[in-house]
Parts: sequence; C-alpha cells; structure tokens
Amino acid sequence: MFLFKLAFLNITRNVRRSLITVMAVGVGLAALIFLWGFNDGTIEQMRENVIRLFTGHVQIHARGFEKSLSPELFLAQREKVLIDVAANPAVSRITERVKCEALVGTSENSRGVLLVGVDPERERQITDLEDHIEAGRYLEPDGNREILVGDRLAKKIGLDLDDKVVVMTQAMDGTLAGYAYRVKGIFHTGSQQIDEVSVYITLASAQELLGLGEDVHEIVIQLSDRKGIEPFLEWAKISLGSEKYEVLKWNELIPEVDQWTQWAEAVIGTILIAVMVVIGVSIMNTVLMSIYERTRELGVMMAIGTSPSQIVQLILLETLILEGLGIILGLVGGYLVTIYFGEVGISFHGVEEAFSRSYMSTVVFTKVEWPHVVQSVITLILLTSFIGLYPAWKASRMEPVKAIYYS
Amino acid sequence: MFIKAENISKVFQDRSLPVTALKAVSVDIEEGSFTVLCGPSGSGKTTLLNLLGCLDRPSGGRVFLRGEEISALSQEKLTRYRLRKIGFVFPDFNLIPTLSAVENVEYVLWLQGISGTERRKRAAAICERFGIGALIHRRPRELSRGQQQRVAVARAIVHKPELVLGDELTSNLDHKTGSELMGFLKELNREEKMTFIYATHDPVMIERAGRVIRMQDGEVVSDEKTRVHA
Repeated sequence: MFLFKLAFLNITRNVRRSLITVMAVGVGLAALIFLWGFNDGTIEQMRENVIRLFTGHVQIHARGFEKSLSPELFLAQREKVLIDVAANPAVSRITERVKCEALVGTSENSRGVLLVGVDPERERQITDLEDHIEAGRYLEPDGNREILVGDRLAKKIGLDLDDKVVVMTQAMDGTLAGYAYRVKGIFHTGSQQIDEVSVYITLASAQELLGLGEDVHEIVIQLSDRKGIEPFLEWAKISLGSEKYEVLKWNELIPEVDQWTQWAEAVIGTILIAVMVVIGVSIMNTVLMSIYERTRELGVMMAIGTSPSQIVQLILLETLILEGLGIILGLVGGYLVTIYFGEVGISFHGVEEAFSRSYMSTVVFTKVEWPHVVQSVITLILLTSFIGLYPAWKASRMEPVKAIYYS
Repeated sequence: MFIKAENISKVFQDRSLPVTALKAVSVDIEEGSFTVLCGPSGSGKTTLLNLLGCLDRPSGGRVFLRGEEISALSQEKLTRYRLRKIGFVFPDFNLIPTLSAVENVEYVLWLQGISGTERRKRAAAICERFGIGALIHRRPRELSRGQQQRVAVARAIVHKPELVLGDELTSNLDHKTGSELMGFLKELNREEKMTFIYATHDPVMIERAGRVIRMQDGEVVSDEKTRVHA
C-alpha cells in the first residue's frame, strides 16, 4: 500500500504530463474499441445481409450441385428430406429453389445470369428480397411468366418494368429451353453480385422451364438461431447421409465474408500494434523523464536501503497506474462512442459502389464485441508493461553515489 | 574495532582521465564514537564517508564492519547492510518531496517490513522527539531548512542503526539551527550509543566532535581526539 501511495504521488508530480499520457492511452484504446466495433458491426451486417439476401443459414443440394449448377443434379427424395428437416426443432423456416445458369436477352442485348426459381410465399419468410424491390412489385404465387431483375442488370441490358425478356437455359434433358417473361419488379439489394447477376422467377415456372416436374435443386433453411448451424450440420450429416447430399452453411456458399473478416482483422491487428507502440513510447517517455528528474531522489532511496527490485516495482507501478487510468478512460470513451454509433449508424451512402461488392450495408452500425475489447486491453497492458520495464530497469541499475551527486 | 578501513583508495574515471579521490587511507572507528572528517573541498571526505557507509566500493584496500569485510559484498548485500545497520543524512537533506515528514521517516521502516501501525507509531514518536511533532503531515517544501534537516536526521536514526553518516549536515543552516542539530546528534550518541561519522567544513561542528580526522588531497593528514563540548 505504501509503495502504491508513493507511486501514485509520483505520477501527480507533473499533472499535465501524466494527463497527456493518460489521454494518449485513453484515446488510443477508445479508438481501437471503436475500430473493432466498426469492424464487428460491418461483419455482423455482412453476415446478416448474406443470410437474409440470399443464402439462409444452411442449404441442402444434391452432391456436387453448388459447384456445377448442373440442372440434372436435383435433390433425390425431396419430400423425405423436407419432412426430416422440418422435424428438426432448430429449424425455423424452409423453402425450395430451382437454380441454374441462363441467358437473359432482349431484342438488343443479352446477359448470362443465375436464374433462381423461388416459391414467393416461402421465400419472403427467409430472405428479404421483397423489401428490396425498388420498382414494380414482388412475384405473385401464380405469376408464371413474371421475372424480377436487379437494377444493375436492368441498366446494362436496357430493361424497364413490363418489358419482355427471353430466358434461355439448358433443360434437364439437355435440350435448349426458353420462355418469355415480363419484368414485374426491379430490385436493388446493394450487392453487386445479386443486382447484376441474379434474376428470379416462380418455382413452378422454373420447374416447367427445366422440365424438373416437382423436383428442386435446393432446400434453404432458416434456423431459429445462427449458433444452431454447427449442431444442425452434425445432425444433417448423420440423418441425411453425406454421400447423396451436400449440406452447406452460409459462409461456405459465400466465402467472401470470411475472407473479408480475416483481412479486416489483419488490418486492425496492424493498426493495434501501431497504436500500442505510440502509447508505449508515450508512457516510456513520461516515465523516463520522471526518472531523470528524480535521479538524486532515487539515489537516496537506494542509499537508505531500497533494493533494485523495489525500484523496479515502484516504476512499474507508476507505469501501471498511468496505464490503468488511461484504460478506464479508453474503455468508457470507446464503449460510449461505439454504443452511440451502434444506435445511430454511420452512413456511407456516398461510397455505395465500393460497398456493394462485398455485401456491406451503406449504413454501418458499430457493435461492441467484448472478446475484442478484452484482447485490446490485454495487448495494451502486456506491451506497455514490457516497454515500461526499460525505464524501471534503468532506474534500478543506478549507482546510489552517482545518483545522489547527479546534477 | 567497529569499522576498519585498510589502505583504501578510490579512483574515478572523469571521461577518459582517472582521478584519484582517495590514496591508501587507513582509519579505525570505535563503536559509539563521534567522529568528524574535515578538510577542504575535494580532499576526499565524502568519498571516504561513502566507502565507510557501503554506498560505494573501494578501488583498492578493504573495509571491515565488526570484522566482516563489507567492501567485497555484492550490491544486493550492501543494500541490505545499509538498510539494517546504517543511517544516512545527505547534503541538502534529500527528502522524498511527495511524502509528508512522517512518511519520509516511515519509509525506512516500511523497507524493513515493519507493519503500518507500528511504523507510524515509531515515526511519529521520533518526530515528536525532534520537536517537529506538529509538522509531521507537512510536505518537505512546507518546512524550513532546519525542520527538513530534523526530518532527515529522524529518517536516518528511526531504525536505530549502529552507524550514522552525515555529509555537510549544517552547510545550509544558520549558526543557531546548526548548533541545535549538533546538540540532538550528541544526545543520540550518548543515549543510543550510535556511532556518528560526518563530513564538514563547519568549525562549530568540528569543535564539538570527539575525534577529528583531517584530510587533504585524498589522504589523512591528521587524526586527533579532542576535548568534547556537550
């Protein structure tokens, strides 16, 4: 306690210098917490965007379908699979899709697309495609010659509402199949992938086009909680068997989100190290200055019996107090700022083009993820304590006589 | 013999030039004695004091305390030795400015591992004895030089060391305060049987010592016992 009191009194000798150091630690940590909050909020939104826009939590296909999109790879024993999956208590909603590569063309332009046949009613329970319709309307359940296109595709091939397009694809029997559809809705999700490449027709229409009968290519599953994905995959592996089906989670279907997460964490890790070094140098400067200013005093302390290890303890304690005050400041500041922007969001409407390539939302809501906060604080404590060892060691190596008569 | 220095010398390196501060000095100090080291500036008083007080190690020769060679001890052992057996009063007092008067005195007891209640009691008692009982919660800068000197002496003796060393104890004090301080030290010497060695130029201090060792150019030029004034 005596040592703590002495350390605390020592850092109050030059209040301004100590305050600057505490501010440096505090602002640095707050910036890191906010940065992590921004990253975590962005990634969380990307995950939800991917899940809510397209993939659901889990999809079941015939083995090899996801890679090849071959129309003949429809789901075997579709009804049994549906019944089994529906019986799983973790499953919240299910829908079915037909998916294939196709060519969409007008009289003047054409474009390769991903044709998706959806059940309009069940689809709207899992994905929020309907919410992204910017012009026109969503698919009617019996709208067998209706098509939804993304705004980017519409712009590229010059489509407008009620325009007629021809969709051509390879049918189940290998023949070329084609139908004409009316554009009933133009959607804008913000995702370049979806807005430029995907078109939607009804499930029945797609089954008819491909000659699939009642069969489908894909079962899309929404679980009641994202945390239930891994247990569901385990269950599916045992219950459905892995030889006929591929059961894929959302981030296997769209791996870009995980790649983005890794990249962002590496960037923030680099920033973290840079911030830590700046904070560490600031603390070391303060403590070194403080040691030089009281060289005689430290010499006297050693002369009257203070051991080198007690000098190290004292200097380290001073470092830790400065650091501790800065951490409290940084935690409170960083938490409040992150929570605030988690409520109001940060708008990036001006750079939507850049965001649209990676499923990012144009309004980012920051999010406090405590493991990242704890990681920042622990790194800060370890690194700055390590840096603080140098002045402590330097002070403990002083020779009492030289220090006392130091001028 | 309480302290015995045998042919001790000390050479400092001033940049690349060696400077000899002590040249083969031998002195014996008896237990309970009151010895003054005097001589002009640069004569080697402080260097000898530092060597006798385990603050520094000689370049040559040996120092014994109660027969144990202390000049060969490691820094760690020397630190422990100083803490247990030696009290120091430094020039300009060198109190810890952030601590109050009583905390400065308490500090040495804390180093010795004495519990909070006991050390506060002992520190307050010695401050009371030195006539600064009413000032114990003041910081050094709030005390006069004479009061600071008393705190420094209280800090040096609170743990009842066998040897008390002082360097230029009265150089910054007026005649009256310096004389009062000497009175205190003599009283301690008599009552606690502590051995005192101090370095000074001050004639008042010199004439009140029981033994005067005169130094010049790093050598002892005279060593005489005097008639002591109380």
